[in-house]
This record gives sequence, C-alpha cells and structure tokens, in this order.
Amino acid sequence: MAVDLGQMAELLIAGKVDDVEKMTEQAIDDGMDPSDILQKGLIAGMDVVGQRFKACDMFIPEVLRSAKAMGAGMKQLRPKLVASGAKMAGTMVIGTVKGDLHDIGKNLVGMMFEGAGFQVVNLGIDLDTQVFVDAVKEHKPELLGMSALLTTTMPKMGEVINALKEAGVRDQVKVMVGGAPVTEEFAKEIGADIYGANAASSVDKAKEVLEA
Amino acid sequence: MKSVMPDMQPMNQTVQETPVFQVLTEDQIEQIYFSALEVLERVGSRVHHDEALELFRSSGDAVVGDDKRVRVTTSLVERALKSYPRKITLKGRNGVRSVALQKDHVYFGTGSDLPFTYDRKTGERRRTQYKDIVDAARIVDYLPNFDFFMSHGIVGDAPNPLTYDRHQFMAMLEGCTKPYVVTSVDGEGLEDLWKMACLFQGGENEFRLNPMFVAYIEPISPLTNDRTAVEKLLFAAEKGIPAMYTPCPSSGATAPATIAGMLVQSLAETLLAIALCYLKRPGMPLIMGGVTTVMDMRTTTYSYGAPEMALASAANTDISKWLNLIMFSTGGCSDAKVLDEQAAIESTLSNLTAFLSGANLVHDVGYIDSGVNASLESLVMNNEIIGMVRQVGKGIKTDEAHLALKVIDEVGPGGEFVTHDHTYEHWKEWFLPKLMDRSDWETWNAEGAKTMLDRVNDETQRILDEHEPQPIDDNTRKELKKIIDDADKRHSK
Ligand code: B1M
Repeated sequence: MAVDLGQMAELLIAGKVDDVEKMTEQAIDDGMDPSDILQKGLIAGMDVVGQRFKACDMFIPEVLRSAKAMGAGMKQLRPKLVASGAKMAGTMVIGTVKGDLHDIGKNLVGMMFEGAGFQVVNLGIDLDTQVFVDAVKEHKPELLGMSALLTTTMPKMGEVINALKEAGVRDQVKVMVGGAPVTEEFAKEIGADIYGANAASSVDKAKEVLEA
Repeated sequence: MKSVMPDMQPMNQTVQETPVFQVLTEDQIEQIYFSALEVLERVGSRVHHDEALELFRSSGDAVVGDDKRVRVTTSLVERALKSYPRKITLKGRNGVRSVALQKDHVYFGTGSDLPFTYDRKTGERRRTQYKDIVDAARIVDYLPNFDFFMSHGIVGDAPNPLTYDRHQFMAMLEGCTKPYVVTSVDGEGLEDLWKMACLFQGGENEFRLNPMFVAYIEPISPLTNDRTAVEKLLFAAEKGIPAMYTPCPSSGATAPATIAGMLVQSLAETLLAIALCYLKRPGMPLIMGGVTTVMDMRTTTYSYGAPEMALASAANTDISKWLNLIMFSTGGCSDAKVLDEQAAIESTLSNLTAFLSGANLVHDVGYIDSGVNASLESLVMNNEIIGMVRQVGKGIKTDEAHLALKVIDEVGPGGEFVTHDHTYEHWKEWFLPKLMDRSDWETWNAEGAKTMLDRVNDETQRILDEHEPQPIDDNTRKELKKIIDDADKRHSK
C-alpha cells in the first residue's frame, strides 16, 4: 500500500518522530517523488503546526517535537532531494559567540530551523571568531546564525562579520543575529542581514530574506 | 510561645504570631534531597576547572570521568553540609551591621546587570549607563524596605567588557551605603571587588567578620560548571568571602518540566558546590540559591512573573532551612515590558511568597521585561509592596495588651475607640501607606486624580532630586580608583 502523505503530515503534527522517519523511508523505498514527500507530507504538516502555534493551539514542546520529526524525515529525504535537484531549505550554521555561555535560546532557534527543513549545524557556545569563519567555509550554509545574551559579548558578532569579509565569504551567506540584549538597530549597525527576536519569528524573517 | 490571658485560666496552648507558610512537608524535602544525592552519585555534574577536578580526584570521595563529569559520594556531601555557617551578618559601608542572615530573617534587594533601562523621560528603552546604576543605588539607599543592593543595571559605558565589574561596583558604592550582592567577570574581577570592599571594612580579616558583600556565582543548568564560575567560587572559599552558587534553571528547557524535578536538579547543582567548597576550605560562608522558574511555552521567555517561580522558590527555601543553609531567593520581579498593572501583580505575588517562606536574601526586586529591562520606578513601587508584605508577615500579637479585653470593657456597647489611649498607642503598629491612595473621590480629584503610576513617578523623581548618600572620602576614593585603573591597564594590553 502506498504511503499516505496526509497521514504522514498528521503524525508529524502529533510529534511522532520515529513514525515520521520510518514513513519517509518507506515512501522513498516505494519510489515516491521526493518533492511530493517533502511538500505534501512534511511541509504540509509543519504548515499546520505553524498556524496552530500562532493561534495558540500548539505550544513550544509540541512544536519542537514536530520540528524534530521534520528533522528526522529530512535526514532521510535530503540526499534524494539533492540528487533530484529539488528546491528545499538549505543549511544553517548557528552558535553562541566568544565569552558567552548562554545555550538554550540558541538551541531552540536551531530546532525551529530544523522544523523549517533546514539542515542545522550547531557549533556550541563560547566560540572563537575563527570557528564561525571556518564553519562557513566548510559547510557553505545559506544562513549563519549568531547568538549573544550579554552586552559584553554582542560586539563579537560584529567581529565575526568583519572576519567573514576578510576571508572573502561574507557574500556567500546571510547573517542572522539574536539574543536578549540584541536589537534590530544593533543588527543593522554591525551589518547583519536579519535580526531574530525569538525562535519562531526568526524563521519567518529568515525565510523572507532567503527567498527574496 | 505561651500566651497568658487576663481574667482567664492560663491555657497550655501554643500561639503562632507569624503566618506559617510551608510548601513542602519534611517527607517531601527528604525525597528531594535523597534524589539530589542520587543525581550526584549516578549522573554527576560537569566541571570545567582543573584545580576543582584535582580537589575531587584527590578527595577519594569522587570519581572524575574523562568528560569532566564529577560524581560525588553522599558521605562527602553530608560531611560538607555540616560545615557551613548558619549566620552571616553583612555590614554596609555606612558601618551598620544591618543584614543578619539567619533563619527566617528576610531581606529584600535588587537584581543585577539589566542591559536596558526604561527611560522615564522619553518613555523609551535604552542601554543602561553608569549613571543609571548610581541612580538605582541612591534610590535603594533611600528606600527603607530595601536592605541590600545589586547593581540593578549593567554599566554599558564601561571602557572594557573585561573590567566592567569594577566600574559597576564603583557606581554601586557611590550611590548606596547598604550591603551588596556583587556580580563579577571572573576570579580576578572578584578579587578586585573584594579589595575595594576591604578598603571600607578595614582589611581582609575584618571583612571576614563584617563582610560588605556576597558574591553572586552561578552554575549552568543542567549540571554544568564553567571555568569562570568555579574560579570565583574557589577564590571566595579561599578568602572567606560569602558567596552563593545559584542555579538558574528553566523548567521545561534546562530542567525537568515538573517543579519537583527542577528542585532535585538544582539541589544537585548546589550540593556539588557544597562539596567543592568544603574540599577547598571547610566552613566558607556559602549560601544556597536558585532562580527557579518555567520557560513560557508560548514565547520561550524565562519567566520572572510565573506563579511557578514563586512556588518553586518557596519550596527551595523550605529545603534550605532543612539543610541549615542561608537562602538567596527571588521576588518583586515581572515579565511586563513597562511598569504597569501586570508588574504590580507579579511583583506582589513573588514578594509575598518569598517573605512568608522566610528566604533570607530576596533579590531581583524591580526587574521588568523578564530580567532584561531596569525600572527605577519599579523599585519605588516595590518598596510599598514590601511594606505591605512585611505587615502581613508580622502576624497578630495575642498578649494581654493586644487582646484588649480591658479596652473592650471600658468602651462597652455603643462606644468609640478612636480617642481611647489604647488606640493612640497601638494604631502605629499598622502599615502606613505612602503611595497607596485611600482618599475619597472628591479629595482624589482635587489632588490631581493621580494614579498609582503617577504617584510612583513623582516619588521616584523626588528621591532622585533630594537624596544624597553619605559620600566616600577622598582618600578611599583615590584607592578605589587605583584598583580600577590598574585593572583597566592590565586588560588594555
Ligand atoms: C541566530 O539568530 C538568532 C535569533 C534569535 C535568537 C538568537 C539567535 N539567540 C537568541 N535568540 C532569541 O530566540 C531565542 C528563543 O526564542 C531567545 O533566546 P533567549 O536565550 O533569550 O531565551 C531562552 C529560551 C530563555 N532565556 C534564557 O535562558 C536566559 C535567561 C536569563 C535569566 C539568563 C540565564 C538563564 C543564564 N545566565 Co545570564 N541570563 C540572562 C537572562 C535574562 C533574560 N531574560 O534573557 C542574562 C542574559 N544574563 C546576564 C548575566 C549578567 C549573566 N548570565 C550568566 C550566566 C547565566 C546562566 C549560565 C546561569 C544561565 C544560562 C543557562 C543556559 N543553559 O543557557 C553570566 C555570564 C556567563 C557567560 N559568560 O555567558 C552572567 C554574566 C552573570 C554573572 N555575572 O555570572 C544578564 C545580561 C547582562 C549583560 N551583560 O547584558 C541577563 C540579561 C540577566 C540579568 N539581568 O542579569 C531569543 O533571545
């Protein structure tokens, strides 16, 4: 029996990580079109999750479980999508800057992007400027995300942007910054492309910029 | 306490004058405590500090894993627990030993390091500056219901992020003469702050007897101890500086989503520091802490206004009393973006529960915007709230004079009490509102129909215009400056 993508979307909404992963695998094995699996299964589910979250019918633990399911499905699907040249969300590299140990906010942002279909490389916390630059060279992400929760470490984000310029890779990647003391104004000042106030709105904003 | 009633047979009855508020039974506390010990034996806690790892390794009472995970025996923890002082008295730079940290003595103070300040003149949120810290300090120096001062904001205009703590402490010293709780960049920063404080207390040993501040230090939940935090802790232990190691878990994100689970985890985090400081120097004045709250599941905000924060904090205080540890707790704070009704509601709830639970140092009073934004007005409003809370906490006296049988007899049916001596004597025991309005409609209108917020704003401005704290003498000022300048020089290279 062919995989029911509608059911896959339902399972994703319900946050059934293993089931979604298995079903994606099954769908691939059945020879279904990877683009269809993505659009009618995974993304269809995540769209509902997004709407329900905005309507306060779903909450963070549920949303991030669905995001995890999305990530699990994407792990199976990504190679097929790449092979078929289908359109999909790209890679995001994310980390907390040098001197800063705040972890959880950055992780939640990463999970949300996973839910949006991105491949997320989470570099960790307290990262040297060079680590960001090297990661951009290595992973060639569409998006580089930096988090800073301290006024004292915020300037490091500007340093990374300058280092990206010096390394000649600034134009290859959109830069997003966020964290409690960071503002839209500050983001502009240091030449970042996107300011993210919270995990959910960051995804919307990034998509807008990346799809423009 | 026995109360003997007049004209009656003495009754063998215990009379409780203060409200009793306990959110955990002793059995529950034991369950949480034993679970925390189990976490330390089974899961352990990661320690990113070589000396600390060596202390654990050579103790024979801990196992250090390759991943720097330290697992600790109950035997070590229980020996350590017995070594901590049950009383620490702080002395302000005004020379008054005003904060006696001991069971059920409750003191209120600000929080620290808020990156933004709500500017009452422009109505905008802007970055906090040195002058804002001095202003907050002056207000706290003036307000009678504040007992200690944390910086409230962070000095955003300091020359170097690596030395901002010295400048911040200077601003605190300038504006406030009450005892402090200080945050520092690292061990070296704490050392400088301690040297600055010793200038006032008359040296290192005097500081031990009359500490002017408590050092604020935190682990990273879950179960992680970073290098700088441990560095500060070990320095505090070495010098006998009172310090707290205060976990800041958010239930559902960096701790289990159940309050009990969060309490277990944060107690395990505390007990690790209890064991470590004991190995470094038994008996150092360590204080238990905890900003235990939930992460809001709609916004991801670390909530400073959730009822769960108030409840979990009270539970933590119950645990601290059972362990004979002094408690650093949280209250008077809010998730509201500006000082509004929400701020008043949330501040009141957490102040009340913190007081009734008997926490010793209740901090973060005046935080708005979930610990991101500073409001001077919030300090002024909270002063009134704490006044009311303290009144509730005083409870009801039931001795002869207070039962007032004689007076009831004298006045008799249909009389009045207003002009009676008894009233003249006792009404002053009541809370006297300063900002709460109890006037009639006519009068209120005639006086400008001012809302609570108007009155709070006026009072804030009046204090800022009028209150000058006791100045720091020129000599001390010079020496303070030297410590700060030296630090700036060391770090400018
Ligand atoms: C790439 O694109 C993007 C896009 C969006 C992005 C993004 C990146 N990054 C974040 N976002 C955004 O989306 C996320 C999800 O919605 C959000 O992330 P958040 O991280 O904001 O949200 C989390 C889900 C929940 N929020 C949090 O977890 C942070 C809460 C508060 C209370 C906080 C916590 C919990 C902690 N802290 Co720290 N801490 C505070 C915080 C006050 C606050 N309200 O922010 C803040 C940030 N801390 C502060 C301070 C002072 C400190 N902290 C410190 C330590 C810690 C803990 C380790 C105890 C703990 C973190 C534990 C952990 N596992 O992460 C110390 C510094 C350690 C270091 N070197 O980093 C220390 C310096 C304290 C000290 N003196 O020891 C203050 C900042 C002061 C300043 N300089 O600006 C502070 C505002 C609290 C305060 N008023 O004191 C958005 O900001």
